[in-house]
Amino acid sequence: MANTLSIIQAVNQALMNEMKIDDKVIVYGEDVGVEGGVFRATVDLQKTFGKERAFDTPLAESAIVGTAVGMAINGLKPVVEMQFSGFSYPAFNQIISHVARMRNRSRGQYNLPMVIRAPYGGGIRALEHHSESTEALYAQIPGIKVVIPSTPYDAKGLLIAAIRDPDPVLFWEPKRIYRAFKQEIPEEAYEIPLGKAKVLQEGDDITIVAWGAMVPDVQRAVKMVEEKGISAEIIDLRTIAPMDRDSFIDSVKKTGRILVVHEAPKTLGVGSEIISIVNEKAFLHLEAPPTRLTGFDTTFPLPRGEKHYIPSPKRIAKTIEDIVNY
Amino acid sequence: MRLEDYNPMNNEMYQVMDPMGKVEDKEEIPELDDEQLKYLYRTMLYTRTIDEKALSYQRQGRMLTYAPNLGQEAAQVGSAYSLDDEDWLVPAFRELGAWLVRGVPLKNIYLYWYGNEWGSHMPEGVKVLPVSVPIASQLQHATGIGMANNIKNEKNVVLTYVGDGGTSHGDFHEALNFASVFKSPVVFIVQNNQYAISTSRKVQTLSENIAMKATAYGMPGVLVDGNDIFAMYNATKAAVDRARNGEGPTLIEAYTYRLGAHTTSDDPTKYRDDAEVDEWRKKDPILRFGEYLKENNVIDEDWIESTKKELEEEVKKTFEAIEDKSDTELEDIFKYHFETMPAQLQEQLDEYRSFLEGGK
Amino acid sequence: MNFEFQFPDIGEGIHEGVITKWLVQEGDNIEEGESVAEVETDKVTTEIPSPRSGKVLELKAKKGDTINVGDVFVVITSGAENEEEPKVQEEDQVEEETAGVVGQVVASSDVIPSSTEGASPTKKTSKRKKVLATPVARQLAKDFGVDINTVAGTGPNGRVMKDDIHKANEDKAKSEDKTESLKERKPRKLTISDDMPVERVPLTKIRKTISEKMSESRFTIPHTTAMDEIDISRLHDFRKKYKDILKEVDDVNLTYLPFIIKASIVALKEHPEFNSSLDEETDELVLKRYFNIGVATDTERGLMVPVIKDADKMSLVELAKAIEDLSKRAKENKIQLSELKGGSFSVTNYGSIGGYFGIPIINYPESAILGIGRVVEKPIVKDGEIIVANILPLSLSYDHRIIDGASGARFLNLLKELLADPDMLLLKG
Repeated sequence: MANTLSIIQAVNQALMNEMKIDDKVIVYGEDVGVEGGVFRATVDLQKTFGKERAFDTPLAESAIVGTAVGMAINGLKPVVEMQFSGFSYPAFNQIISHVARMRNRSRGQYNLPMVIRAPYGGGIRALEHHSESTEALYAQIPGIKVVIPSTPYDAKGLLIAAIRDPDPVLFWEPKRIYRAFKQEIPEEAYEIPLGKAKVLQEGDDITIVAWGAMVPDVQRAVKMVEEKGISAEIIDLRTIAPMDRDSFIDSVKKTGRILVVHEAPKTLGVGSEIISIVNEKAFLHLEAPPTRLTGFDTTFPLPRGEKHYIPSPKRIAKTIEDIVNY
Repeated sequence: MRLEDYNPMNNEMYQVMDPMGKVEDKEEIPELDDEQLKYLYRTMLYTRTIDEKALSYQRQGRMLTYAPNLGQEAAQVGSAYSLDDEDWLVPAFRELGAWLVRGVPLKNIYLYWYGNEWGSHMPEGVKVLPVSVPIASQLQHATGIGMANNIKNEKNVVLTYVGDGGTSHGDFHEALNFASVFKSPVVFIVQNNQYAISTSRKVQTLSENIAMKATAYGMPGVLVDGNDIFAMYNATKAAVDRARNGEGPTLIEAYTYRLGAHTTSDDPTKYRDDAEVDEWRKKDPILRFGEYLKENNVIDEDWIESTKKELEEEVKKTFEAIEDKSDTELEDIFKYHFETMPAQLQEQLDEYRSFLEGGK
Repeated sequence: MNFEFQFPDIGEGIHEGVITKWLVQEGDNIEEGESVAEVETDKVTTEIPSPRSGKVLELKAKKGDTINVGDVFVVITSGAENEEEPKVQEEDQVEEETAGVVGQVVASSDVIPSSTEGASPTKKTSKRKKVLATPVARQLAKDFGVDINTVAGTGPNGRVMKDDIHKANEDKAKSEDKTESLKERKPRKLTISDDMPVERVPLTKIRKTISEKMSESRFTIPHTTAMDEIDISRLHDFRKKYKDILKEVDDVNLTYLPFIIKASIVALKEHPEFNSSLDEETDELVLKRYFNIGVATDTERGLMVPVIKDADKMSLVELAKAIEDLSKRAKENKIQLSELKGGSFSVTNYGSIGGYFGIPIINYPESAILGIGRVVEKPIVKDGEIIVANILPLSLSYDHRIIDGASGARFLNLLKELLADPDMLLLKG
């Protein structure tokens, strides 16, 4: 049976599916219980499963994550919410010091099958701290996985896989496209493996890697350049850590050119990692310098300046052309 | 012992045994038989022996940085002894006495301080979490373990420790707040040994005592003489029973003193008076408990002497078993980050291995 | 100026609502802030105020309808001329909706294609041939104008190295040089002292062509020439016997040339590389299965080499006739252009004018040419005795790239065998 859902609805359905199948799955965070989350990600969970399994906490992100560590050690599967990824920073200490390290520190005695969900990314004309795109900071930490879906189908499948994963996963949801489109997806639970990228379309002239809300923008840009005869291969990375390196290596070996597009700041962003890997594994296949098109090395501007920050389809298209004509 | 009889708001401290080992209110003596009492004393002695030898090894260059427990044996052993088998222990880093009571082998303890992660891998059935270096962060884990117990309907409790310094940390506040809101079955023990490295407890907070902070969270708090093993045992037991009955968390302030340095890299003479230390030496927990036991014919000097020797042998034997044989296996550095090693990590390991083997 | 009022997400993160009551009618004048409708969402039932003043132009839904966040549900016209145009947003900026506690999240009912997860993508083989090469090598190739994908790589894993590109570039230059020298070789500057008495005579077209063809042949083919003297005394007698009869009956001059051509064809059949061309582009030897013999003919205008096509199918008499005919027409300048092309082997009879041995230049793109000198009476030693014989001097120039000295010798030996004994020529020819 299928239903047509947006990303946020797919997230909700994933949680519904898993909580029904596995009573070790516990959902909590700020405003997720009674209200069902400020974006309605957790709507009806408390109604369906009760206050013990879906509940609201005091306002303390560090405690939300810290107690999840304890719950996971004691055999449960907490799926906690950071209201916005920008508010995960108070929990950063727990994430880097404990969430990422408990397995290694105890030589495998304790593992944390927990998920931290958060809406992430900019473009919604919000206050400061509501547009953060700092996945690179987390992706560099050994011991955690970072996943970012771009479609409803992927959001549900990846979230279910994250919940079932024996290791901690940060599940960052691109809020700009939470409701921008719907997609037909199965009603029942299904998994998409973590650590596997997806080739959205094949092409010969250039490889483009993107994730989250940038994927539809890249698709728009690719349509523009197709009119000029450029054939592009689009790869949705989906899991930032651990990265599916083979997906874009194999692609670059075919096309000889690669462009990474992401919102986050340029310096030391995930794009730099992808390009380094391309350098290591596909150097002799390159016909143009691997390039990244990203946000600036600035704080995400407030709404009146927002339109400059996220690379637009026009800007993406121009960059593609420049690379192909190198 | 009833927690509510000792109101921290009035700075009332609970004590059973005075520094001379004299007990005024016999009713407060815990119901423990001689074997149990001897076990308690022996464990405190063991704690001290391990510490002394570790310090010695460190000064000989055979051991790395070590955090001694000198003076805090009663706070640790007495509190931990009140737990049942299935209960959890969530330590900070200065709880040697508690580890021993909960069944952590000395080998593990020395391995950890010697610099090998396997020290934190506990034997089956030993529900003790690894040392937590970020101050106070472990309190949240304790709260979470307790919350999970409630969800799973399990009746075991969580005993967790933090120092006076740690009570200034946000995590202390958040963990106690959460524990109270969710009625998590946790007993929070603050080992107030008066110092956070060089920072006196009086600088840490202007609160008259730490126990009273519990009031802000809607949970009971009690100030206890941390060098009095009976008081520590009784108070912790009361808090543990409370938690097990579903009544929620308790905060216990164990008022004690760090007779040694913060760690082997610290020189306390720089920031405190010998006079102060001497005063506290008189309140040594092993001294006073020893007096009580001898007074009540549970032990004698000979027994103490022979036990000491026995323990020293044990410690020496254990340390020599790990000394120079405890380098970390290369693969262990990589293997335990995920259930399955990701490809790029495997690649890094393979490359390094090939370098070591003199490959290309 | 029409304002399309889109149903906002009123800060509750909702997707849709039901219109429970319209509070205005089409044609009503309303003020900014005035409620237009009562809408029920899954959170709350609330009134929606208008952000604009003006006249209600159109209500785009009925009471009881469900509207999605983002749908236009009321159109309001201001009627005012000077009302500011709503700022046109960049085409790549998504339109605003409200959602969430802060900010605005776009809501739309657009449906995107279903996922193709699990479907193994058909691996399209790339159309382009690709080579491995460092960026430095690629740049070098670009600088030289060499297509790197056609360069053979000698590096690890077949990598194209800088040296490979240098070599490819030199080869390219060489072949360009060659083509230049063949077609547009840069004329060398002639250095003669200005004060020497000279007369400049413009080259005729034919002379220019000859000049170019000679250069082309000589500069392309490494020539070598094998020479030998043949005792054709018996052939001499044979010819003497039949020469007059042929003249009378067939009206043809019987010279030695037809015999030599016939003998050459026998030799060409046995040594086909003398009847070939070298294809430098494909590194192939093109062996010709036809025998078109060019006969170098001196004319007033210069040397010409008309070709006897399929000379192997002609008898001696026919050959003689053909030779005569070509010679006559060449002198009369009645040779067709097609008769000058398609040769596979040539002979040049300078001996008819004079001269003994020569070093003839091959008629490019053939691979060999037989130079025929004057037949003379000469003393030779035979069976230990000195006798007088008729000696035919032959000079065989050939392409030393494809024909070795031994082959050259063998070819000449065969000619010798055939021409020294006419019976042999009859048997083998």
